[in-house]
Amino acid sequence: MAWRRAVQRFLRDRAATLGTALILLLIVAAVFAPILSPFPSDVADFHTAHRLRPPDSINWLGTDRMGSDLLSRILFGARITIAIAFIAVGTALVVGVPIGLVAGYYGGWASNLLMRVSDIFLAVPQIVLAIAIAQTLGPSIENVILALSITYWPFWTRLVYAETRSLKNEVFVESAIALGASPWRVMVLHILPNIASAIIVRTSIGMGVTILTAAALGFLGLGAPPPAPEWGRMIAESREFLPEAWWYATAPGIAIFMVVMGFNLLGDGLRDILDPRIRRGIGAK
Amino acid sequence: MKRTVFALSVILAMAPSMVWAQGKYVHANNSGYDNLDPHAIFDVGRAASRINFYDGLYRWVDNPPKLIPWLAESHKSSADGKSWTFNLRKGVKFHDGSEMTAADVIYSIERMLATKKGASSLFMPIIDPGTTKAPDKYTVVFALKESSAIFLATVPEILVVNAKLVKQNEKDGDWGAAWLAKNVASTGSYKLKRYDPAIGFVGERFKEHFAGWGPKAFDEIEFRTVLETNTRVQGLMKGDFHGTDGYLPYDQILRLKQAKNVQIFEQESMRVFYFSIHNDRPPLNDVHFRRALAYAFDYNGFINDILKGAVARNPGPNPNNLWGAPKDLQGFTYDLDKAKAELAQVKQPLRPITIGTLAGFSETEQAATLLQNAASKIGVEVKIESAPWQVVQSRMQDRDKNYDMVPLWKSTYYVDPNNWVGELYGSRYYGTRNYSYNKDDELDKWINDALAINDEEKRRDLYEKAARKVTEQAMGIFVYNTKWYGPYAANVGGIRFCPIGSGQDMRWAYFK
Repeated sequence: MAWRRAVQRFLRDRAATLGTALILLLIVAAVFAPILSPFPSDVADFHTAHRLRPPDSINWLGTDRMGSDLLSRILFGARITIAIAFIAVGTALVVGVPIGLVAGYYGGWASNLLMRVSDIFLAVPQIVLAIAIAQTLGPSIENVILALSITYWPFWTRLVYAETRSLKNEVFVESAIALGASPWRVMVLHILPNIASAIIVRTSIGMGVTILTAAALGFLGLGAPPPAPEWGRMIAESREFLPEAWWYATAPGIAIFMVVMGFNLLGDGLRDILDPRIRRGIGAK
Repeated sequence: MKRTVFALSVILAMAPSMVWAQGKYVHANNSGYDNLDPHAIFDVGRAASRINFYDGLYRWVDNPPKLIPWLAESHKSSADGKSWTFNLRKGVKFHDGSEMTAADVIYSIERMLATKKGASSLFMPIIDPGTTKAPDKYTVVFALKESSAIFLATVPEILVVNAKLVKQNEKDGDWGAAWLAKNVASTGSYKLKRYDPAIGFVGERFKEHFAGWGPKAFDEIEFRTVLETNTRVQGLMKGDFHGTDGYLPYDQILRLKQAKNVQIFEQESMRVFYFSIHNDRPPLNDVHFRRALAYAFDYNGFINDILKGAVARNPGPNPNNLWGAPKDLQGFTYDLDKAKAELAQVKQPLRPITIGTLAGFSETEQAATLLQNAASKIGVEVKIESAPWQVVQSRMQDRDKNYDMVPLWKSTYYVDPNNWVGELYGSRYYGTRNYSYNKDDELDKWINDALAINDEEKRRDLYEKAARKVTEQAMGIFVYNTKWYGPYAANVGGIRFCPIGSGQDMRWAYFK
């Protein structure tokens, strides 16, 4: 029944519900883009005679510099956004969590070495490091994902390391060790489930940051090459036509804003539910 | 009372700077000034430093371009066209006060030939190092290896540096390259006041310039790097800049035409927009593949819709408004059926084609995406990579690192068909001006013959034949010849546009 209470609490949180709705909207847009798009072929097709048309009954969000329907391109762009966010964050999780877990559990010089390496990554502003990597590798979606993955894993490592260190001396962990559980069993079955909430919350917020950074890379021309309907690139292309073609930058800008806000609100809502310290804080009021 | 005196003294103290500020022209440029060496750079984006800081023996002015004597007062050539004698103007001062003599001209040409950069590609095939002589202090004799019909037209590119000053700053036999990249040693219209490669340069009027000055000439000129098109346009409309580049996207020109404090000078120009194609790499070395791509470009859509008809279709490499461009030349049209038919004749395996576009020049990206879109319909995959012009240019100069295709402009550096079809497709210019790396003996013969004779009718015939062959073989995809729309603040007068330099010669301009 605990999960039911958690769901009820989550649903009572309007912000978290709104965040979830926005993310669901993104997923629906990505999955059903070919059906929802008024002009699916406009992802790669141009109609130069119709370029830079303001929003009207045919092109609800207007057209871009090549005459393509902006709404269609934004819907298909959701696929790129989801792909980048899920793969980059997923990779960072797969790399960062085990490193943090092992380093936090074992300690010693190897642990210190791993954490100092993660500190090196954390010392450089993430966007700067991502730009450097993406620029070196060349502009492509794959390289953006790689650049983001490389720069993100230390965040999870640092989080998991700290949580593991604090749980390592808890009675239930010591009991498991005393009963003869192997280190891997202790880490995977006893420690990891207890830090899962922190990881989930960090992941949700991390998704928003990832999307924003990916859009920034796209804006700088380091993301998906043309004609991919990448949102950051679309904003970059629109700069030249501002302020006259205001819809050109506004449409992808709002899309990025909504998705990032969605993940942030969801993250806040999850933290309220999953983090006992916050929950106690709320209950004390 | 004390306050009044203080305020008055502050105003008086500021007065000279206020007057000074009124005489400062600020130009927003779309390229960075990463180097001031006049013998290392040779492109329109960085033309302002060459034109305003340096002088040549002759100078191009106005439109249609006229060649006027500059550091030289006159010249004569031998009957065989191999010996060219220039009589220098006497009493011309460098910025440091020393006199410019024949020794400086000789040092300058030797420096160009030794450093092999910038405009040197124009002279390396025809002048050997050590052959230029000075019979006296004010006479220079160029001994050409072969007769050259374009030599006089290219003489303005021999920009004269202060030999003594540059020699003092040479390091390890670098001909002063490191020093001259950040300093100016010249007789030019403006003296260098401030330079930052990341920002641009400020020039101060050289009052002792031999050509004299008009009464309202600018005291200072500043050329600032502003890569963002919108920022340049907004800055001009707000009054932060007094001028910007004359080849803005036409959308921006239309926007500027609405602004009350901006004027647009419109001039016929010679600047051909085309796709450079690497002709020496499969499958682009197959004429059928190149023709397929030439048929896959939507010329009308690009010219009439994207550029709103502001430019004229130019089917061949030579500008339509110049002799040497065949009047009846039939260019390619957008026809995907013909493209497929040509592609069917390609025997080599197809592969993805990479197009390099110029960052900050959205027209190049739009042209590339238009071709990419049509190419996908005939089964050719195109990848687009964007990079700053300096990066694109350095890759183009390397046969192996060059992109498969690059959409760009061929601007006017001298008014002769050799500037276009000759340089772009003559093998003598491989890697310096020819980025197509095509090999065609017949074409080479026409181009070389045209360079060796002075009879314009015969030259016209040779260049027309060359232009026809280049077009018919689709060695490049030729799109349009542009007009120059020079955007300036409404109070700027005296702009003398010349296709060579694109109106950036500021010595004639003034505030009304």
